[in-house]
Amino acid sequence: MISRVADHCFWVGRYLDRAESTARLLQVTRSLAFDAEMPTSAVWRPVVTVSGQYADFAERFGDRAAGMGDVVQRYMTWAPENDVSIRNSIWGAREGARSVREVLSLDIWQATNELYLWFVSEEAQKQFQIDRDDIYRQIRRQTQLSLGLVRSTMLHDTPMDILWLGVLLERIGQTARILDMHHYLLDEDIHEDVHEDVDEDVDKDVGAGSAKHQIVQTSLWLSLLRTCSGFEAFMRVHKGRVTGHDAVEFLLFEERFPRSLRYCVRSAVGLVRRIWPEQLASIGGAPLARLAALDDWLGERKHDLLPSSIHDLLTHVVDEVALVCSETRQAISGAAIVPETEKAEVAPKGEAQSQSQTGPVGEAEAAATAPAPAPPSTPQ
Amino acid sequence: MVTEPEGSLLLKGYGALPGAYDELVDETGAPRPHARVAADMLNGLSPEGFQRCQSLAELSLVQQGVTFSVYSDQRGTEKVMPVCLVPRVMGAEEWTRVERGLVQRLTALDLFLDDVYGDQRTLREGVVPGEMVEKSKSFVPRLRGIKPAGGVRIHIAGVDLIRDPAGTLRVLEDNLRTPSGVSYVLENRQVTKRVFQHAMESGGVRRVDDYPSQLAEALRSVSPDGVDPEESTVVVLTPGPFNSAYFEHSFLARSMGLELVEASDLVVDGDDVFVRTTMGPRRVHVIYRRTDDAYIDPEFFRPDSLLGVPGLMRAWAKGRVALANAPGNGVADDKAIYPFVPDLIRFFLSEEPIIEQVPTFVCARRDDRQYVVEHLDQLVVKAVDEAGGYGMLMGPQATVAEREKFRALVLAEPRKYIAQHRVELSTCPTWVPERRRLEPRRVDLRPFVLASRAGAGQPPSRWVLPGGLTRVALREGSYVVNSSQGGGSKDTWVSTS
Repeated sequence: MISRVADHCFWVGRYLDRAESTARLLQVTRSLAFDAEMPTSAVWRPVVTVSGQYADFAERFGDRAAGMGDVVQRYMTWAPENDVSIRNSIWGAREGARSVREVLSLDIWQATNELYLWFVSEEAQKQFQIDRDDIYRQIRRQTQLSLGLVRSTMLHDTPMDILWLGVLLERIGQTARILDMHHYLLDEDIHEDVHEDVDEDVDKDVGAGSAKHQIVQTSLWLSLLRTCSGFEAFMRVHKGRVTGHDAVEFLLFEERFPRSLRYCVRSAVGLVRRIWPEQLASIGGAPLARLAALDDWLGERKHDLLPSSIHDLLTHVVDEVALVCSETRQAISGAAIVPETEKAEVAPKGEAQSQSQTGPVGEAEAAATAPAPAPPSTPQ
Repeated sequence: MVTEPEGSLLLKGYGALPGAYDELVDETGAPRPHARVAADMLNGLSPEGFQRCQSLAELSLVQQGVTFSVYSDQRGTEKVMPVCLVPRVMGAEEWTRVERGLVQRLTALDLFLDDVYGDQRTLREGVVPGEMVEKSKSFVPRLRGIKPAGGVRIHIAGVDLIRDPAGTLRVLEDNLRTPSGVSYVLENRQVTKRVFQHAMESGGVRRVDDYPSQLAEALRSVSPDGVDPEESTVVVLTPGPFNSAYFEHSFLARSMGLELVEASDLVVDGDDVFVRTTMGPRRVHVIYRRTDDAYIDPEFFRPDSLLGVPGLMRAWAKGRVALANAPGNGVADDKAIYPFVPDLIRFFLSEEPIIEQVPTFVCARRDDRQYVVEHLDQLVVKAVDEAGGYGMLMGPQATVAEREKFRALVLAEPRKYIAQHRVELSTCPTWVPERRRLEPRRVDLRPFVLASRAGAGQPPSRWVLPGGLTRVALREGSYVVNSSQGGGSKDTWVSTS
């Protein structure tokens, strides 16, 4: 597969998933702001923080604005200056898809193009004013449509594997950041070790102050699960009992849940292995080794998960995934420009050869025209 | 799919344009025999019914994304080439003659290119004046002596034909570099098939949908010596998504199942070309390039440019990769060479040209020059190195000052100018939505011709796509069929009988 095309596929996957995660995060946070009796800044500030854009945001709107739901939502949805705004993600996905139209299916291109055309239409702007929940729902649905079409209409071959690898790596990063956003709350809850039925009338069992605290906590866990589309799945596994520890453990380690870190890492290992089988280890070996090590490492952490170690764990995951991303792009570029065997056949021709084989221009151009703003950096 | 029981005879009220040949009806207004099926189909439709078909067709093109992008528009605005559903029909007998004529012309032009970049007999023997070649901007002297892999230079040609008031088809222009437009032919057919299902079934219209597979075969056939065509790697090289014809590049790559690459995807090592892939570099044998000569190889053509693939010309010169079309072809479709093509056909093939061309005055010749400067008010004067309507005098509409300016230009540098009488292009009934009726609009025709490697010592074998792209000047009274200036297209039917 052509390296440039593969790189576009990788970013189409990342952008689609990023648009979806962001819309999901905003939708759920809105609902949390209504349900949980918390100061709005405690609800909205983390949204900007996990996006890695806090510094930019504070500079533009001031620190206090991070507590204002509307300012945050506009910034995260429309702002062209925000690298990870939904607008930029949809634009990136659409431009990527357009550049590799002949590799994707027509259905995927059309769905992604329609998403973009709708999103930039006046109709969508109006809808944002009237029914914000609907906007987020539509973005999620349409990105999910594109992602679903990837699996159901593309040849299950390297282009799809690379696109899906982009989806998974983006998802790991997003899930880890969202969990990290609440890690300080987990700390308290796990110490209390309160098991609580969601439907239980809390006033009867516990004191008023503590009860309020728990309502807040419960709302947070529920929103966390919803943010990751894990509500129903979690409830089935845990029979309706919600605790911070269980929610976090579920999102970290549940091997049967397709958005948990463990599941995504493990799937990514499988994809990298398919894209670069053993005989191509010289090209795809680096991301494979790092992902496999991360998978093993996560497996071990399951047994010694301490509330105090969660932040470190998530930081490690985010850092490693960032490295996997850059190693993957390196591998996508095909590593060696010309195989050694070919070089051996060509008599050294001094100038001509050094000009042709290095391609410093090509390399520099490829880097400069990378189809994407850099992925969001690690928060904090 | 649309039937109109009331049948209001769309063609009955149609008035052909005096002084022009109409493709669908004769002087009495009766349908030409070979266009019977199309005429019956039109007469079975009311204006409302036709408008419905037309809207359906336009919607279908938008949905399929058959667009040309507006250059560098960051919002990605894409326009649909307007299509008129009334087909242009060619009779089987005439088409056979056109096919033979095109093959003849391109065979001669291919031989001429071999000669210009070879031992230049045509120049020595005065078939073409040497200065016409040597001063052509598209002539690349450094290519002399290079024999392209596969022995073909004009792999894909688009020859623009027009029809004069007497009904004679004439070549207006040869496009031997990177002719475009074939994707519209294929997409227009898809649309007409959908909308006029019944007429197409009964009409005996020759198919066009095998163009991609014919093209793929032609490209594979010119694989470098020693490479099994079945095993060779063929790629389509595009300038990128912001090129106005990107849709076509992508469309062709997709329908041939080939990789679409940009220059930065290719790298030359030694004398071989490789494409960068996720599995490491892979050797490329044939490149269908849709980039101009100037952007093929910065080492060769434009040392100041970063565009292109450094070393690609070296690989081509060594016969390690085939380029379709071959670099340097522009000299043969230069306006300065056009007047000599009939002589080239006679010279190389010892045959009379089958298709006429437009009589042309060559200002470098003294008698011609004399006639031109004395009849500037009747002639179209064209600068040979310009294209797209630049450097052109439309004598009949020009002001006295403009004519005087051209008189001076022609006399100062006669070699740079040719002149022709304006041809009253033929018309075809065309739907005018504002007036809900058919009116005559001027058309041309660009057939596409593919060439494959033949046996040793044989000239390339050529295949002509039945029909081609009919472009129509949608504006009343206009002669300009170009899509950027109000032109549209029509499906071209070649009947089987």
